[in-house]
Amino acid sequence: MAKRNIGEINAGSMADIAFLLLIFFLVTTTMEVDAGIARNLPLKQDRIIDIPPVTEPDVLEISVNSKDELFVEDQRIQISELEEVSRSFYTINANGIVVDPTMPEHDLISLAQCQQKINYFQHELSLHPHNKIMARKLQKWEQKKSICQLYSSQSFYEISTMAIVKIDNQANTSFGIYIQIQNILKKVVNDLRQEKCTELGWGNYHELNEHTKQGKERLKQLRILVPERIIESKIEQ
Amino acid sequence: MSKFKKKGNKDIPGVNTSALPDIIFMLLFFFMVATTMKEVDMQVDVVKPVADQAIELEDKDNVDFIYIGYPMDASQGTEPRIQLDDMLAPDYTFVSDWKQMKAREGKTPFDIVTSLKVHKDVGMRIVSNVKEELREIDAIKINYSADQRD
Repeated sequence: MAKRNIGEINAGSMADIAFLLLIFFLVTTTMEVDAGIARNLPLKQDRIIDIPPVTEPDVLEISVNSKDELFVEDQRIQISELEEVSRSFYTINANGIVVDPTMPEHDLISLAQCQQKINYFQHELSLHPHNKIMARKLQKWEQKKSICQLYSSQSFYEISTMAIVKIDNQANTSFGIYIQIQNILKKVVNDLRQEKCTELGWGNYHELNEHTKQGKERLKQLRILVPERIIESKIEQ
Repeated sequence: MSKFKKKGNKDIPGVNTSALPDIIFMLLFFFMVATTMKEVDMQVDVVKPVADQAIELEDKDNVDFIYIGYPMDASQGTEPRIQLDDMLAPDYTFVSDWKQMKAREGKTPFDIVTSLKVHKDVGMRIVSNVKEELREIDAIKINYSADQRD
């Protein structure tokens, strides 16, 4: 059979086709990245199993009126001062000595204490195996134990477990100022967690990966060392 | 008497365009990769607040977006409104039904993050009402949309 000569394909219109597609994507492209501050709302009231009583020094009350003026514990402050105030909320009494009695106390958590609590809750759980509160408390103390083991002193100072930041808004408070407050609170917590990471030789906090076993464990420990608890009061209708 | 004698054809040779498709394709691929299609037609005007601690939203398929802002259509008034998908919601009580309707298979409202894209001048009452609605159905994972700027 004779070999047939296949003619060359004319690629001249290729550019036109590519141009057409290019223009389509150019037009539909939006380059914006979706970014935001992630938060969890509190669970519905009837889902919360134990509500601990909250005492005054444990609460940092930030309120904003309808003119976007900021008050912390009823004192008027500027938004630029909020970072310092919320930072001292976490750190001022951090070494167990009460420097400022209006801020939350820190308790020394030792390895022996953790072990004692773990033993207690394990015993309780063996009697009531379906008690979810007990199971959660056991988990918490096991994590605290693992934190103790990170330090050479086998102990650490934990901020009061009821320490909480409360944001009070009015109906006309702008969303912009609310986000500024959230941003500052996030920044303080991120900075403090970063400091802990550096102290423990873990490197960059933002590079801890939740999908690895080690990263997840460290993030959990950081959440105990620098807890982020925010509540908001409901706006009256 | 020129030393360099011009010889032969004086025509300018045609530009070789055979590499043009390659260049265009390269651009095309760049835009294809960088493209995210617009999800909805905006009915409300949203100017996002700025927050330098904002982090990029991951796994956008598992995120629902709620827009709260001032209606672009003047006949809808000037009060801030809630946009769910392509529609303006009459009021905030529609949020929980909408959220439940959007539930993906095998997932509860709890698993799906709700991103709130809110205009920075909107008052907190409407935001608070929406959050209360979401809380009612355990959709407690919230993301406050903001622009990162350092």
